[in-house]
Amino acid sequence: MVNVQGPWSPIFGRLSLGAIPDNPIIAGAFIFSVVLGILVLAYLTYADRWGYLWREWLTTVDHKKIGVMYIIIGLVMLFRGFIDALMMRTQQVLADGAHSPGFLGAAHGYLVPYHFDQIYSAHGTIMILFAATPILVGLMNVVVPLQIGARDMAFPYLNALGLWLTAVGAALIMLSLFLGDFSHAGWVGLTPLTELAYSPGVGTDYWMWAIQISSVGTTLGAANLIATIIKMRAPGMTWGRLPIFTWTALSTNIIALTSFPLLGVALGLLGLDRYFGTHFFTAGMGGNLMLYSDLFWMWGHPEVYFVILPAFGMMSEIIPTFSEKPLFGYVTMVAASFAIAGVSWSVWLHHFFTMGAGPRVNTFFSIATMVVGIPTGVKVFNWAFTIYRGRSRFETPMMWAIGALFMLLVGGLTGMMLAMPPVNYSVHNSVFVVAHFHTMLMVVVYGILGAVTYWFPKVFGFRLNEPLGKRFFWTFTIGTIMVFIPMYTSGFMGMTRRLDYLTNPALFPFEVAEELGIGFYLVSVYYFVRQLYVSLRDRNANRVGADAWGSARTLEWLAPSPVPFYNFAVTPRVHARDELVWRRGQGLDGVAPTHYEDIPMPRNTSVPLVIGAFALGLGFGLVWRIWWLTDASFIAIILTVIARSFVRDTDYVVKAGEVERIEKNLRQRAAEVARAGAAAGGIDVLRPRESSP
Amino acid sequence: MRVRQYGSVVCRIGRLVRSIAFLPLLLLSGCSAHSLSRQFLIFHPAGPLSGADMRFTVLDVAVMLGIIIPTAVVTTFFLLHYRKTNTTAAYDPTWSHSNVIELVVWAVPLLTVALLGYYAYRGTYAVDPFHPRLLKVAQAGPGAVPPRLRVDVITTDWQWLFIYPKQHIAIANELVIPRGATVDFHMTSATVVNDFFIPNLAGMIDVMPGMRTEQVLVADKLGTYKGYSANFSGSGFSWMGFKTRVISPKRFQDWVQSVQHVPLHMDYAQFNAFAKPTKNINGKTYEFSDVKGRLFDQVIEGVLKGRVYTTQLPPPGSA
Repeated sequence: MVNVQGPWSPIFGRLSLGAIPDNPIIAGAFIFSVVLGILVLAYLTYADRWGYLWREWLTTVDHKKIGVMYIIIGLVMLFRGFIDALMMRTQQVLADGAHSPGFLGAAHGYLVPYHFDQIYSAHGTIMILFAATPILVGLMNVVVPLQIGARDMAFPYLNALGLWLTAVGAALIMLSLFLGDFSHAGWVGLTPLTELAYSPGVGTDYWMWAIQISSVGTTLGAANLIATIIKMRAPGMTWGRLPIFTWTALSTNIIALTSFPLLGVALGLLGLDRYFGTHFFTAGMGGNLMLYSDLFWMWGHPEVYFVILPAFGMMSEIIPTFSEKPLFGYVTMVAASFAIAGVSWSVWLHHFFTMGAGPRVNTFFSIATMVVGIPTGVKVFNWAFTIYRGRSRFETPMMWAIGALFMLLVGGLTGMMLAMPPVNYSVHNSVFVVAHFHTMLMVVVYGILGAVTYWFPKVFGFRLNEPLGKRFFWTFTIGTIMVFIPMYTSGFMGMTRRLDYLTNPALFPFEVAEELGIGFYLVSVYYFVRQLYVSLRDRNANRVGADAWGSARTLEWLAPSPVPFYNFAVTPRVHARDELVWRRGQGLDGVAPTHYEDIPMPRNTSVPLVIGAFALGLGFGLVWRIWWLTDASFIAIILTVIARSFVRDTDYVVKAGEVERIEKNLRQRAAEVARAGAAAGGIDVLRPRESSP
Repeated sequence: MRVRQYGSVVCRIGRLVRSIAFLPLLLLSGCSAHSLSRQFLIFHPAGPLSGADMRFTVLDVAVMLGIIIPTAVVTTFFLLHYRKTNTTAAYDPTWSHSNVIELVVWAVPLLTVALLGYYAYRGTYAVDPFHPRLLKVAQAGPGAVPPRLRVDVITTDWQWLFIYPKQHIAIANELVIPRGATVDFHMTSATVVNDFFIPNLAGMIDVMPGMRTEQVLVADKLGTYKGYSANFSGSGFSWMGFKTRVISPKRFQDWVQSVQHVPLHMDYAQFNAFAKPTKNINGKTYEFSDVKGRLFDQVIEGVLKGRVYTTQLPPPGSA
């Protein structure tokens, strides 16, 4: 064990009262969190919802509920990451030029450098690993089993474990806000800045363990989804009929399963450096900091495709539905997804073209990077030809999908620029790069928001409010344009990344534009929350039938909305690539099964939650070097896993009669909703629009 | 000196883009087109290598826009023309495959990548920081071989030290180079990774502890240019800039002689004092004479043997 700066005691480790920050902004965030927490706890107690929460959510192994919880974690962290962005933008607009004012102890702006550095590091870590990743994993969790006609994931218990490990990572990051500090060395963990000599505090440890623990969860989830897609498909669901989103989920999880262990190794070796004084990534004593860059980006670049491939899949589901026409070039689309996944392994070095590799190496990685543009370009063209001779409808999910398509065009242009080393040298560490990867991540965000709107009625049984969704879309889009176009521009002015103070006053107008853009984002957050509230309030007016959009195509739209816990009463037999369209054509889409069967289902379990709690103890103990807590938590996790392995009673059977009763109730309720809708003069919500000619 | 092997058309495109692209920005800034345009350092190269960087940027953008603009236009047209409310538009509810179209949608990106891949290869070798082919071609041509100047660069937390080993002088937080000379930089860091960047003159190249990276630049135009670290290196990073003065060879000689008589000296012990974490908030510069020839190597050796310039834990509670 290495010695660390500052006091240490056997009971509290490095933890002391001094770890509580005295910054007024953090104090405000703390009060906000405490008040929100008290309100939630008070509501749960007052409404007597603790039992419901425990039975239906905390101990569930239902893939839809786990997916929803993943998405909720992701949205909460998305909000946190957004606040970080807001603070960064505000700092840069305030701290521009030698005469800019300083507040709260900062020479310029209102954040001291060390605080600003933590904010940008937290923003990156949160947005990639605790917002985008959980939301995507959540959506795949919800949608994939439904699309392939499965009752649940292949390993429901493992699925819940993955969720709680991700939650632990998110919890550690939130804890770092109020107790100690966060890493200041970027979400990528720049070595040797992350080494103990240059980051002596607990910040890097928070960053390291939060990612390490949650990445175990993501890896488990990837194995689970791959197994589910390969083994759990309904009869007739051949590879050639697999919905395109499931194909992208398969390719993306192959990436996750093969790349996340690399991240574990990179962070594990860094951990050895920081805790045992080894020299893997130090500058001297035989260490090699470039080794970390290689290991990190060998995971980091596949991770980029891990987040973008599902977004492509979502666009490939949404665009055909709202063009009322099959996806153009299905086989090509599948091939393109796997081509992207394959090439994603051989491009990592473009993240450090400037590290001084020779021209042979840089040329290889440059051309490999450009090759990614081929299948991506094919996808864009195929979406365009899906719209060609279709009947486009501009409901909110379609708006998001179109937005993603145009973001991809801009991101593709700038990506092809950055792929070329002579171009890259002049903008590599500039805000141009920041604008580029945000444009690409906007493809993901637009895809996600489209997908959430698209599949929301499948999970909850009612649609989200359409006018507020449109306002959300437009304010968000104006925000995107106003933030990132000036950011690209300032990159050409030589503005570099991660600056808490700008020396060049000429950047000021661009900073102001970006600040206004973030204001539009703030308004869009309001519309999003309002959309959720209004939709929930008016849910009875917005209920939908199995096919929520009237022109949906794939198998998941055959199940009732909201989907009962067993998904399909009788496992469907699949006849076509667009099964629902096929059934509609045959007049079979509303036909009820003639007989029901017993359904074996996995039993709820609290073990994943318990393991998650111990993992939180483990992570917290490691961060603060409280060895007794670390040891106790680790042993407890091992014992829990062993104890769980003796539990044989993990499944139960839903009797055929019970299934029949539930299905009958569902149909009855659907009929009532339809009558109520018709009485209110509304459309027939059960089959709102018939699209087949 | 300047080599236009990628065609003067590209250069002309560059000028055109420069003059058109900034017009809308005037609305934002309220200052004249000229002075705002000068702020776009990447588009105002002052030497052949940064000029090549810019020309490849323009070439790349031109080729890509040739695809992206038609795609955007066609997609928008499809969306609007084939909207559901347009009952006169054709509707083909089952059409989803065409061999010809699929061939085209694969061929177009493939050919584009082949073309850009070729230029990527040419460009990477042309501006390779260790042995730029561009300069080799230039110097093989007629005319006198320009003089070479060696500068050793050492970054600390958070200052720059530029050593002129032949001249036995050094200057901190400012770089002075003669116009027309080929300047060879050898770079290392005493602490963490930085990135050497002079937007008008030299692309980014990492400056790493315990290692030596190189960069070459030639400045064609006299003037003062901004240089800074582009890779985050800690709390003082935002202030880690250096002025780059390009002066005439004659004035450079005078400057060297004047620095050779300044009272401050620099050896390894003095360097270790200089390398204590320092935020150069006021942009202070220092000149040193009698700089020991092995200083650069000593710093690398020191780092390899485990010397660190430790950052102190920030006071408790300081966010």
